[in-house]
Amino acid sequence: MEKSEVQEKVKKVVANVLKLDPEEVVDDANFIFDLGADSMQSLELVAAFEEEFDIEMDEDKALAIQTVSDAVEFIASYL
Amino acid sequence: MKDFKYNLDKLFYPDSIAVVGTNKVVGTVPHDILRNILDADFNGVVYPVSPKERFVAGIKAYRYVTDIPDPVDLAILVFPSSVIHLALEQCGQIGIKAVIIISAGFKEVGGEGLEREKRVKEIADKFGMSIIGPNCLGVINTDARSKINASFARRMPEEGSIGFLSQSGALCTAVLDYAYAKHIGFSKFISFGNKADVTEIDLLYYLKDDPKTKVILMYLEEVTDGPGLMKAAQAVIKAGKPVLILKSGRTSEGASAAASHTGSMAGSDEVCDAAFRQARIIRCQDIEEMFNIAIAFAYQPIPKSKKIAIITNAGGPGVLTTDAAIHDGLELAKFSEETTEILKKNLPKTANIKNPVDVIGDARADRYNVALSAAFKDPDVDGVFVILTPQSMTEIDLIAREVAKVSSHYRKPVYTSFMGEADVAQGIDVLQRNKIPHYTLPESMCRAFATVYQFGVEQKEQPKQVKTFKDVDDKVVADIISEVKSSGKNYLTEDLSDKLLKAYGLPIVQAEVASSPEEAVKIAESIGYPVVMKVVSDQIIHKSEAGGVLLKINSADDVKNGFEKILKNANTYDPNAQVKGILVEQMVPDGEEVILGLKRDNSFGPVIMFGLGGIYVEVFKDVSFRVAPLSMYDAEHMIAETKSATILQGIRGKKPGDMEKLLECILRLSQLAVNHPSIKELDINPLIVREKGLGAFVADARIMI
Repeated sequence: MEKSEVQEKVKKVVANVLKLDPEEVVDDANFIFDLGADSMQSLELVAAFEEEFDIEMDEDKALAIQTVSDAVEFIASYL
Repeated sequence: MKDFKYNLDKLFYPDSIAVVGTNKVVGTVPHDILRNILDADFNGVVYPVSPKERFVAGIKAYRYVTDIPDPVDLAILVFPSSVIHLALEQCGQIGIKAVIIISAGFKEVGGEGLEREKRVKEIADKFGMSIIGPNCLGVINTDARSKINASFARRMPEEGSIGFLSQSGALCTAVLDYAYAKHIGFSKFISFGNKADVTEIDLLYYLKDDPKTKVILMYLEEVTDGPGLMKAAQAVIKAGKPVLILKSGRTSEGASAAASHTGSMAGSDEVCDAAFRQARIIRCQDIEEMFNIAIAFAYQPIPKSKKIAIITNAGGPGVLTTDAAIHDGLELAKFSEETTEILKKNLPKTANIKNPVDVIGDARADRYNVALSAAFKDPDVDGVFVILTPQSMTEIDLIAREVAKVSSHYRKPVYTSFMGEADVAQGIDVLQRNKIPHYTLPESMCRAFATVYQFGVEQKEQPKQVKTFKDVDDKVVADIISEVKSSGKNYLTEDLSDKLLKAYGLPIVQAEVASSPEEAVKIAESIGYPVVMKVVSDQIIHKSEAGGVLLKINSADDVKNGFEKILKNANTYDPNAQVKGILVEQMVPDGEEVILGLKRDNSFGPVIMFGLGGIYVEVFKDVSFRVAPLSMYDAEHMIAETKSATILQGIRGKKPGDMEKLLECILRLSQLAVNHPSIKELDINPLIVREKGLGAFVADARIMI
């Protein structure tokens, strides 16, 4: 999968889980600080990424990811 | 540069507060803090800041703190710890100087948390901000000018004059609940958490100048800057405000493998105890004791003397109170003839009109009124204790009101103990609402009064001066230490210890090291008999244990035999020990053996020890401690605290010891401790104190560097 495709899907998932306008989900957005994710939503995001990309991620490492672009890199490493 | 006063004024008296990271979820910290600020009727503007919500609790919310169009005085950060640095940076950018970080996940979790906390401190310093926390409950200010409950405590406390500082956020909630039930109010209530930036020392200085605070209470888990804490407390106390500290962690950490007696006995809690006493901090054993004393300071004037009148409606409790009062050093006032006449005229014949006054079991409010008024008016009475037991006819409520009414006309303190729980509850409530100190037990009442009285006495004492001795040779001391260090050792042999102590003016007995029996005889004869002989070896630290000390050597033959005997004993004790020689030393003919010691404490720095000396020092442990530098007052009091003091005063026909010389030795040791931080531990055991005018002599010393 191309990185751009990963990026598009990640942003779609984030917008969906956090109930945001997709335009708000920019690359350098911090999940907590900029997008308002709480701890439950952080777990939901991990589950949603796993489902969308059909992967199984290391949960601790996944939860330590801070920004959208870091999430794209992290998920791409599993593909 | 940080303007500390300005920043803390913004913390306690902000015109505007931003709650950064708040949300709409009731029952969460980010939400409840905002709710608490609003419910306490904050006297200013509140700005919720939330990445997602556009309004919270009916107030417009901003996405970032940088979006707020007006100046913000105080920011409360409730984001998770991983993003606090982002929020803090933005606060700095818009000129916010006061910040409270509620979030946990910093130094207290170690690892990455420690790094996060360092980052927080760096940002604070970069922007000149003052930060409370992280990992705290928050801050409360009951002053009507402000009325902030910037915390996630369940309720806003009543306004009062007690300032409370705590290192534990959870304990704060329990304290608030406890105080609320007893109508105890606070001026300022601060949970300072990890103290990454603002510490308890900073807060002490701030509250020193706070006109709303009369007495300061503190719960502390660790002392990071002992001397700083002592200095701050002394400044606060000098300003007339008592400082009460409940310090946890009493259990001994176990003295680290210390070579000296001082090292093994000066556990961290003993040192903390001594340091607090030295700084006149009132150390409390538990929360209840702390508040028992605090309400006495907050509600009532300091008594002019320790003479009290006890008014009771029951003989037994009257006796209990009397016993407790005498035990705590108080005195029963002696009523004047006029007082006695008034009591005789107005109380039943069966009443006891001497002190303690027993108005007897069937007393109603009117009898209490008579007894109270007479007691307050009596010129010998400087404090009134009121005891009540709930008989079937006792007007508990009315009597409580009578106490409040009568006492309000006089500048003498009144303390009460309405004994019981259920029936007396309403009366106690009346007392508490009227700011009359109430105690469940008369013993607590007496202890509180005695503590307040003692504070008043100490306030009148002269400030302490630290003497500096000019006739000391710091260079000689430094050279000796350097010489020993460069040889790879950490222990000074006796000859070097003597030389070092002599350079600081400590009185050393004549001594010289001999390398042969013949040389030993020559030295003994030049010093004069009797002499003491001791092994000199880097490997043998406890010489007596090794059989390396012989006393009362009176002849040349004894010297020769003694020399051989010591060598043999040393070899038996440690065959690998290298014996440099045998020290032949003048023997002090008489005197009392005391121990002087020095140790470095992790929190308080150099600590001096004094006590009953000799080889059983660790058994009897009749010792006291003070933090260097010591004043004459400190030295005098540390001696007076021990049982040795009585011996030194002269008992069973013995003359008093040379206290002047002993005090001088303690103060010289204190100066040595401060000027030479390389000296890690030091024992002078014994220092032989001869009778007054004959001096004191260092008979043995052990120095570790």
